[in-house]
Amino acid sequence: MSRQLLTGNAAAAWGARLADVDYIPAFPITPQTEIIETLAAWSQAGELPGRFVTFDGEHSMLTAAGAAAAAGARTFTATSSQGLLFGMESLYTISGWRVPLVLVNVSRGLSAPITLGPDHNDVLAARDAGFVQIHAETCQEVLDSILMGYRIAEDRRVSVPVLVNLDGFYLSFTREPVDVPDEAAVREFLPPFDFEHLGFRASRPIAQGVAVLEGATYSHFRYQMHRAIQNAAAVHAEATVEFSRLFGRSYAAIEQYRVEDADTVLVMAGSFAAKGKAAVDQWRADGRRVGLLRLRVVRPFPAAELAAALSGRRAVGVIDQNLSPGVGGIFCQELAAALYSVPDRPPVLRSFVTGLGGKDISQSEFDHVLSVLDAAQSGDPVTDTELLMTAAEWQQVQGRLASARRPVEDNAPLPTDSDDVRAAVRAEFEDARGGVS
Amino acid sequence: MRVKREHFRSPKDLPVVEYVTPGSPLCAGCGGLTTLRLMHKVLGENVVVVNAAGCMTLMAVYPFTPLKSSWLYTTMGSAAAGAQGVRDALDVLIERGKLDAADDLQVLVLAGDGSTYDMGLSATSGAIHRGLNFWYLCYDNQAYGNTGFQMSAASPLGSRTATSHSGAVQRRKDIFELWRAQRPPYVATVSSHDAVDLAEKVERARGLNGPKLFLSLAVCPTGWGFDPELSDEIAKLAIETGVWPLKEAVDGAVRHTYVPNRFRPVEEYLRPQHRFAHLFEPQRDEELLTRIQQNVDDYWAPVLAEPVANA
Amino acid sequence: MIRIRFHGRGGHGVKTASRILGTAAFLAGFETQDSPVYGAERRGAAVTAFARISETPIRERGMIAQPDLIVLADDTLLNDPAAGVLVGQETASAIFLNAADPAPLVAQYHIAPPARAFDVTARTRELLGRPSALSAGVASAAAKLCGCITEANLEAAVREEFSHLAVSPDAVTKNVEIALSVFAALEPAVLSDVPRAATAEMARVPYVDPVLGASTVYNSGNAEQRHTGAWRVERPVIDAGLCTRCGLCFVECPDGAMSLDATGLPLVDYDHCKGCMICSHVCPVDAITHQPETAAW
Ligand SMILES: Cc1ncc(C[n+]2csc(CCOP(=O)(O)OP(=O)(O)O)c2C)c(N)n1
Ligand code: SF4
Ligand code: SF4
Ligand code: SF4
Repeated sequence: MSRQLLTGNAAAAWGARLADVDYIPAFPITPQTEIIETLAAWSQAGELPGRFVTFDGEHSMLTAAGAAAAAGARTFTATSSQGLLFGMESLYTISGWRVPLVLVNVSRGLSAPITLGPDHNDVLAARDAGFVQIHAETCQEVLDSILMGYRIAEDRRVSVPVLVNLDGFYLSFTREPVDVPDEAAVREFLPPFDFEHLGFRASRPIAQGVAVLEGATYSHFRYQMHRAIQNAAAVHAEATVEFSRLFGRSYAAIEQYRVEDADTVLVMAGSFAAKGKAAVDQWRADGRRVGLLRLRVVRPFPAAELAAALSGRRAVGVIDQNLSPGVGGIFCQELAAALYSVPDRPPVLRSFVTGLGGKDISQSEFDHVLSVLDAAQSGDPVTDTELLMTAAEWQQVQGRLASARRPVEDNAPLPTDSDDVRAAVRAEFEDARGGVS
Repeated sequence: MRVKREHFRSPKDLPVVEYVTPGSPLCAGCGGLTTLRLMHKVLGENVVVVNAAGCMTLMAVYPFTPLKSSWLYTTMGSAAAGAQGVRDALDVLIERGKLDAADDLQVLVLAGDGSTYDMGLSATSGAIHRGLNFWYLCYDNQAYGNTGFQMSAASPLGSRTATSHSGAVQRRKDIFELWRAQRPPYVATVSSHDAVDLAEKVERARGLNGPKLFLSLAVCPTGWGFDPELSDEIAKLAIETGVWPLKEAVDGAVRHTYVPNRFRPVEEYLRPQHRFAHLFEPQRDEELLTRIQQNVDDYWAPVLAEPVANA
Repeated sequence: MIRIRFHGRGGHGVKTASRILGTAAFLAGFETQDSPVYGAERRGAAVTAFARISETPIRERGMIAQPDLIVLADDTLLNDPAAGVLVGQETASAIFLNAADPAPLVAQYHIAPPARAFDVTARTRELLGRPSALSAGVASAAAKLCGCITEANLEAAVREEFSHLAVSPDAVTKNVEIALSVFAALEPAVLSDVPRAATAEMARVPYVDPVLGASTVYNSGNAEQRHTGAWRVERPVIDAGLCTRCGLCFVECPDGAMSLDATGLPLVDYDHCKGCMICSHVCPVDAITHQPETAAW
């Protein structure tokens, strides 16, 4: 083992290298590019026995990745944002083939407007694509999750691709100390890919990805993907035990941070959870009983773990770094569903959205979240998502908006009614609630 | 004029063995299927067909496949990339001792014109650019057949499709030249009508390492509107009128493998097909018919002017 | 509600027939639905279409497993289990057969519902002078059996539906004539509402190994189990005496539905031959003749 200062991208490249991958189809996109550049350099220096190939785009790249895995090669590939969406059709195709591989996504907000900063709308657009999905908080976790990813993907109880997500900039370009395990230990954790049930070969022709024109059989295949990803929960848990034995680090589907006696719990995912933990520490120092849950395994969705961890709490605030327009934060919706049947579910569940396009989150915003949770009443609408933004940020935004205006339009006020609409929706909701009770 | 035959003298010399079994749900009289069947015969066993969404995708409908070889359905836009993944994987697995070299396969992309000329062009061009060692068969039925015969960039001038009711107003993309511009080792046009020419080309290309591209005029009774019995006749007329030149380009150098001694009028090819019926009824569209004939003549003029180095 | 299921082959026009019936019922003021099974519809391949007619809003969709009327355009489909002509015949109040005399078919295939018959093919041939789509005649039979559609509705529906197809005014008139003659010749069915089975046991679908958890076929070349010979409307018959063993037909058969015997004589695999007749057309010595396979056209 060696301890090195690595960016999240470099840690991802190390993950692929240590997994001794056979094949790396590639295409550049900020902020992922360093991963493929690193692998290309290693490949050209003869340090990687696998084959590195650049493609004409992610749709091709992902098809080739899946096809190579279908042919029996241990395959690694990486993308981000527009690339993930450009390859969306291929994502569904290759998971439908039930082939194991690891895809790293470096999160970045989606266009339009085009941006470079991270948020989770890209990776969550792929949440139904039939991939196991793991979100990393640290550079170390990026590397470790890739190794665990192969072990999970290649298990016959799973046999679907695994997507490992890391946040652009906040992880991708951030160096921090990472333990790079020894190859021998990695071999023990991750034996060579046994592709006995896959592969095209002369001695054993197969037809893969055959059309299914009949609903019940199609349903069976789609349902198998669901079951496979559900199975990944147990396989992940087993892999964790072995990983911890070999490397001394352990990862659960959800990370529980200072939640033991917490009455209020924040739920977050990705690198911003580190900031959430800092906020928790500060509140704890002030005597508040607040904890944080970090969603690490997003698919399979750890509903039971979340229910167990949150039952009996007073208030839960979900800080989503994504926005499903017309609904709100995505994780909040999924969590609400997971808590629905829990008898002593938290009476307060509130949704916050921040960090879109890489917008930072400050302690004041965390404080605001806590104050909202403190004031919230049982039965407040979960769907009433609040966008977190400080007044100073909003002022800056307004300045930019003003600069974008045509000078002749000078300062004619534009209609703004978003707050009124929100108030009206809320009033309606309360009316409706009054009506039924 | 016909080029000298090196491997097969007559249809009788073609391999008898079949790698595509009957029982597929494709239309009776499908020219695309004939081409695949013939090409596969000559390629021999040990093939993996990488398919782009199109009519041929329905060859294999679960739980059946007519292929004795392997098959991978990809998407409409990325078959050539799928081929790259499979080829690279086989190479690297053999290189790393994880797969027996005897288990190696030839990789064959099977794609329609919609995929080839339109959606899959980027993936294919990329594979050619990388020098991928693979076969590519485009069965060119000159429209999006599987979705009910809508216009593609291969739909010929004047042809009626479900989205060009009064006939396509554009000329076809010249995909042969688009391919050739990238200088792959081998590009050819073929036809199910001339099985020996097709077989010869497969045999000539066999030793070449890199992209080997076959563009086949795939007569399509369903989309073109003629009785399936006429499939071979229409394919023949395409050649004899000069509409479908049979040619090949080895490392970019083009030669025609068959030149009709006497070109038949293009009308003879157009008339039996319902997709061109509006050129004749209710009244003849002289202008368009002349243009179509002119386009064919213009194509051949420089070819015929060349010294007969071809023969 | 009356649920009508049509069976025919690609080219017979059963989809158009279901539309004519739907339009006629619509014009008669009923709630109605019509739909084809959308798949790889090829000339000669089995095709199914559906119509529902009701006085109250229709709360059903899609396939009809338990029809009130079965309308069959081509009795050779009774040989093809995959066509499922008699599926759900227990609930059917009548079956229409495109034949002059239903009795032999009823006996041979154990057809349970009362059979009504008319030789639509003969009538179509008589009026149009050639084998052609049977949609007008078949739709008309269904309309009459339903008992709730007038001659005027039917005629208007035939005209309406044919106006969407690229056919000559003369062909439309002839098709109306076919429809009306079928309509006049038949009696409405006695429709009884047989109770539909409502309870089916549920399955619990387990996880299965990825080998069978993805749409992969390991049984290479097994499409041979599908007998596409049932699509054939004409049969190629080779005269071994005339054949010169040139091999052209064998080479040009799209489906590979031919083999060569030791002498080089081609043999047709009738289980699979789709009857495209390319072999006959390419034969330089006209050694392959056409024999009619089905009376439907
Ligand atoms: C991304 C995408 N868009 C549209 C389709 C629908 N589609 C399936 S097959 C097809 C036509 C393909 O045309 P072509 O490549 O010419 O093959 P053919 O159908 O003629 O065999 C289309 C448009 C698809 N499968 N994928
Ligand atoms: S539509 Fe044309 S290309 Fe497609 S299967 Fe039918 S005949 Fe072949
Ligand atoms: S008719 Fe002839 S060419 Fe056509 S499928 Fe039958 S045997 Fe083959
Ligand atoms: S084409 Fe005619 S002559 Fe030639 S093998 Fe066939 S049947 Fe015999």
